[in-house]
Amino acid sequence: MMDTIYLDNAATTRVAPEVVEAMMPYFTEEFGNPSSFHTFGSSQMEAVETARGQVARLLGARAEEIFFTSGGTESDNQALRGAVQIDPTRKGIVTSAIEHPAILETARLLEKKGCSLGIAEVNSNGELDLDSLKKLVDQQTAIVSIMAANNETGVIMPLEKISEIAKEEGALFHTDAVQMVGKSPVDVHALGIDLLSLSAHKLHGPKGCGAIYIRRGIDLPPLITGGHQERGVRSGTYNVPGIVGLGKAADLALTHLTDTVVEERKLRELFEQQVKERCPGAMIVAEGAAMRLPGTVTVIFRGIESEAVLTLLDMHGIYASSGSACSTGSKDPSHVLYAMGIDYTLANSALRFSLSRYTSETEIESVVSVLETIVERLRRISPYSE
Amino acid sequence: MWKYSDVLMDHFMNPRNVGSLPSPDGHSEVGSPQCGDAMYLDIDIDDQGRISEIAFKTFGCAGAIASASALTEMAKGLPVEDALKIKNSQIAEFLGGMPPEKFHCSVMGHQALKTAVEDFRSKCAEIGKILEEEGIPAALIRPGRVYISSPDDLEKTKKVLSDRIERAISVKVK
Repeated sequence: MMDTIYLDNAATTRVAPEVVEAMMPYFTEEFGNPSSFHTFGSSQMEAVETARGQVARLLGARAEEIFFTSGGTESDNQALRGAVQIDPTRKGIVTSAIEHPAILETARLLEKKGCSLGIAEVNSNGELDLDSLKKLVDQQTAIVSIMAANNETGVIMPLEKISEIAKEEGALFHTDAVQMVGKSPVDVHALGIDLLSLSAHKLHGPKGCGAIYIRRGIDLPPLITGGHQERGVRSGTYNVPGIVGLGKAADLALTHLTDTVVEERKLRELFEQQVKERCPGAMIVAEGAAMRLPGTVTVIFRGIESEAVLTLLDMHGIYASSGSACSTGSKDPSHVLYAMGIDYTLANSALRFSLSRYTSETEIESVVSVLETIVERLRRISPYSE
Repeated sequence: MWKYSDVLMDHFMNPRNVGSLPSPDGHSEVGSPQCGDAMYLDIDIDDQGRISEIAFKTFGCAGAIASASALTEMAKGLPVEDALKIKNSQIAEFLGGMPPEKFHCSVMGHQALKTAVEDFRSKCAEIGKILEEEGIPAALIRPGRVYISSPDDLEKTKKVLSDRIERAISVKVK
């Protein structure tokens, strides 16, 4: 089999071997229900609580502020849908134009149900326009929801400043930190975050498990009701293997955090520099942004369509992604690039490469070599290459 | 990844008739608003009204590139009228099938061919008008060459024609 190179870690990551190992017993011998009366089941609550502590440590939170969910989308839904139910005089949602659909689609749905919705803009570097945000937040705002880092550009948002804007008007501050957690340090208390969403499979944990951080003192209504699990904040039988996997993944992420920040950044910068040098027409999106994730970059290859590049990369066993209209089957290309003022044709030429702590320098070098030939080949066919 | 046939992948990897023609009888530049694709197409038409040369450039996905390549292969050598009748379903069939989501990719090629033929026809019409004004009976008109039946002063006619035609449609007349 051909060697493959996986550079789509913003979509999902490989499960770390240590995580698989930690999860295994909970699929086999330790199959009990932590909510059971008998010791066989109830003893497994210890594993759940260990995981809660591990997640809390990664975020600088208290264990009792962490609630397990099915993933980022559920956590985002609970944050928005819950926040607008807390105070009848506060029904407003303020978010940004570059959020994940889990936030944007949910916010639009709530708008149809009578909530007000404000969408803050970003500049051409994909950075949040704090003035436009400030104008949208008022005494009717229930929640300000801004992602910690963008999934396409890797741009990190100024969370502390956003928190201050929300606090001034008494609104809750939620951040979808799915791309950020485990890649860059997050301290929920220091940053003034009230609610935070995270997902296990973005940090080398399993799919189908995530968490929501709810600052102590906030009474966030549940999204899923039923039994008494998670103190009624999130009902449903504990996904013990998933939770244990998330805990272990969080623990590993914390151990590797310093290395990740330094090593992944080094490789990403090498990649950017090489691509610009060897692929004519290549342009790094959000290159001038003040803060970016260590390992996520979107490149525009002017004159060629991104799905054609993806198809050729795939044939070489290289996996990346694109937000092009054609590859997603949707009518329009990336809403993130659109919000940054990047035109339609350029947005259809954009590819995202996202690294992980498993990415090597050799892999980066191979990808650049392959890209060089692909770009050359497609530019020959293109009407836009002159 | 879409499920692409081997034939389609071959046309994507080794597209036929890529490039441009030196002074084409018909040229078109079209885009598909549906997915942001774009295509340039050049055609030459021989004395019998068949597409003798065809060349394209495409900005698009694998499906769009392969469809454009297939269309040029199918159209080459056909009388213009027949080439215009090539259906998207025939392109898909030629390529050994296409994912239904990708069907729209082949529409652009058809549009490009239609526009190139319109360009060819309007050039011919313009030359025809000039010839009529000059009172020169023409046997056959192509943007690059005109067959004239027994002109009195060949050299003079040639000069008048090339001056006027070149100015009108910016094509060199041989």
